[in-house]
Amino acid sequence: MLPEMAAAAIRTSKLTKDYGAGRGVFDLDLQVSAQEVFGYLGPNGAGKTTTIRLLMGMIRPTGGSAYIFGLDCARDAVDVKRRVGYIPGDVPQFGSLTGSEVVTYLAGMRGGVDPRRVRSLCERFELDLGRRFREYSSGNKQKLAIVLAFMHQPDLLILDEPTSGLDPLNRQEFYTLLRETRDHGATVFLSSHILSEVEHICDRVGIIRDGRLVHIAELDEATAPNLEEIFLSYFSESRTKPKLLPS
Amino acid sequence: MIGFAAAAFLSILAQTAGFYQIAGHSPAARAAFGASMSALAAQFVALFPTPIRPDTVGGFVEFRGIHPLGILLCVWALVSATGFARGDEERGIVEASLATPTSRAALVASRAAAFTIAIAVASLAACAGYLAGLAIGHETAELRGVLEDGVLLVALGVACYALSIFVAQLVPGRAATAAAGGLLLGLFLLNSLSRVLQSLVAWRWLSPFRYYDLSQPLPPGGTFDARGFLILVAIAVVGTAAAALAFTRRDLGSSLIPFPARHRPVSFAPSGNMLWRVPVVRGVYERRLGIVAWSAGMSLLAFMFVLLTRTIVNVLLSVPSLLPYLSVFVHQQIYPAVLGYTWLNVAQLLFAALAITHVARWSAEDVDGRLEMTLSQPFPRAAVVVERMAVLTVIALVVSAISGTVLFVQSHIQGIDLNAGRLAAASLMLVPFALVFAGAGAVLAAVNPRAAVGLLGAFAFASYLDIELATIFRLPLWLQDLSAFKLFGTPLLTGVDGRSLALMVLLAMLGLGSSILLMQKRDVGR
Repeated sequence: MLPEMAAAAIRTSKLTKDYGAGRGVFDLDLQVSAQEVFGYLGPNGAGKTTTIRLLMGMIRPTGGSAYIFGLDCARDAVDVKRRVGYIPGDVPQFGSLTGSEVVTYLAGMRGGVDPRRVRSLCERFELDLGRRFREYSSGNKQKLAIVLAFMHQPDLLILDEPTSGLDPLNRQEFYTLLRETRDHGATVFLSSHILSEVEHICDRVGIIRDGRLVHIAELDEATAPNLEEIFLSYFSESRTKPKLLPS
Repeated sequence: MIGFAAAAFLSILAQTAGFYQIAGHSPAARAAFGASMSALAAQFVALFPTPIRPDTVGGFVEFRGIHPLGILLCVWALVSATGFARGDEERGIVEASLATPTSRAALVASRAAAFTIAIAVASLAACAGYLAGLAIGHETAELRGVLEDGVLLVALGVACYALSIFVAQLVPGRAATAAAGGLLLGLFLLNSLSRVLQSLVAWRWLSPFRYYDLSQPLPPGGTFDARGFLILVAIAVVGTAAAALAFTRRDLGSSLIPFPARHRPVSFAPSGNMLWRVPVVRGVYERRLGIVAWSAGMSLLAFMFVLLTRTIVNVLLSVPSLLPYLSVFVHQQIYPAVLGYTWLNVAQLLFAALAITHVARWSAEDVDGRLEMTLSQPFPRAAVVVERMAVLTVIALVVSAISGTVLFVQSHIQGIDLNAGRLAAASLMLVPFALVFAGAGAVLAAVNPRAAVGLLGAFAFASYLDIELATIFRLPLWLQDLSAFKLFGTPLLTGVDGRSLALMVLLAMLGLGSSILLMQKRDVGR
């Protein structure tokens, strides 16, 4: 077996990004196996997007290390991205370019994208590539982000809240696509704060709070119903109860 | 507001303090300086009004400081007005504002009032800069003239703001800045060209710049035209009211003048255009409309400058006191000298602006997530920086080649004998000139993309005012020599200086190399 095959899809060791004032990600030890769908849960500002940006090599760690398929995420960023499909948390803006131009532009940078695969994905999500990006609704912008992440059939998908803005029908279509992709051998790392979504599609879940990974759980039939309880056990105490106004 | 106020203060201070350094101290020296300034002003008569008493600090600052500042404030008004009318609308800020109990008319009025306050602060800063400069020269001024100049700047800026915000209601969002900018440029040229083209005199009453020109309150014997000032105020009030009315009559996200949407068949296929796949070519192709606009604009200006050269030279030659000065200055090559001075000065400013617009785009790509998406492809960070610079190089080459060709052909038609080799070299010199600013901009965009455009604008401004700032701050000579405006030299008259060209290329490469290193180390993402 090649060393790369033996490597985990994602492995982090004491991964830290310290923005100061307690913000960032701290001492993250995480391992995601190949062909696994891993859900990354946490409230807003917990550190989900920071973790994802560290994995994508967009930001540099303050300490520790992160590897994807045995490649250093910071040092070997270009090689890592050959094998990764990515949906950012905020859909990038492409102004007056049409959807088809955006696809060709980014496919040209990547190389090796099959136009038939693009067509099939667009038909599946009913995404009209002939329209200008600025004319797209937020849901259509998210669909374009999905097409861009899946078009080259990557080995690993890193998805930051991928169903944001999608209607229920397209959300179901996305879940089906995700299962098919996993069945074809890909690994998925997705962040979300929708518990039902994570329960529905993930094999395992990690919960992050204040930049620290506080819980990892298998999501099989027996434990799935407890996800909400697990989540609330970490976050309900931190919420201040609303004070009653004097009558 | 703080940036513009600082720029206004510093530029007027630099011009005022610079006067005492360069104008001499004896009456004879000042008179000679005034004569040379008149000669210079005659070359720029198509841009700025003829100065009154340029041998005095008031006349000099009115010509060299206040008039260019007026143009700068009009550009600010344009950007601010279209940014509110359409930019904020695209970002949803206008929608959020209207979700509060605020009427559309009140929103337009509040923005216009806010801009009036902002431009008043900048104008006051300019006045303060003048008074501070006078203090350096141990002179005093009549406060009335200074304040009159301040209120004139405010009135002109707010009038331009009102016209821009009104035009922005009429056209689609993406065309708002171009349409409003085109209108302001047209009105500016209508007034300024009427000084040399008799046929435009009958129409210049349409231009707000005409009413601004009627006053020059700073120099001794200067005037303040109250009627012209009131007309500017009326344009501001009526324009703002018309914009408010137009805003109440249109849908958010639409224009008052309906533009029917083109029907396109649904498509699921990626674009088959191979140009999108080729590095550098894709960047040039994406900016194709911009290249056409820049080339057309620059060519039009080149055409006009050639057309005006004979008129300008006739004006110069009609002043007997200037003849000795001119013969020494231009060594009998008066037409290439005047054309080189006028055209290449404007071309330098415009190529600096071209570089700044590219840096603005790089910064925007960082902020709007496009850079993050690019870097999620297997594409090295260094390649992003190199491709950006390569795209700008190609665009600058195209624009300089087209405008240079138009200049040459039109000169030939007008019977002005230009050295083709020198003109080609001078046009090509604009490319490394733009790259110096792009290199500095690339560094700034890598360090702080949100502040890059403002800082680069300040850098360009400081480079332009190199001589004035150098005298005030006693900058070492080697630092003064690094100004791109100084390095550009006079290639049409004296040919390209190899050392200056090498320095410009070196500065551009230094910027490129530094920005690559910074890009490798920095965090990307909003």
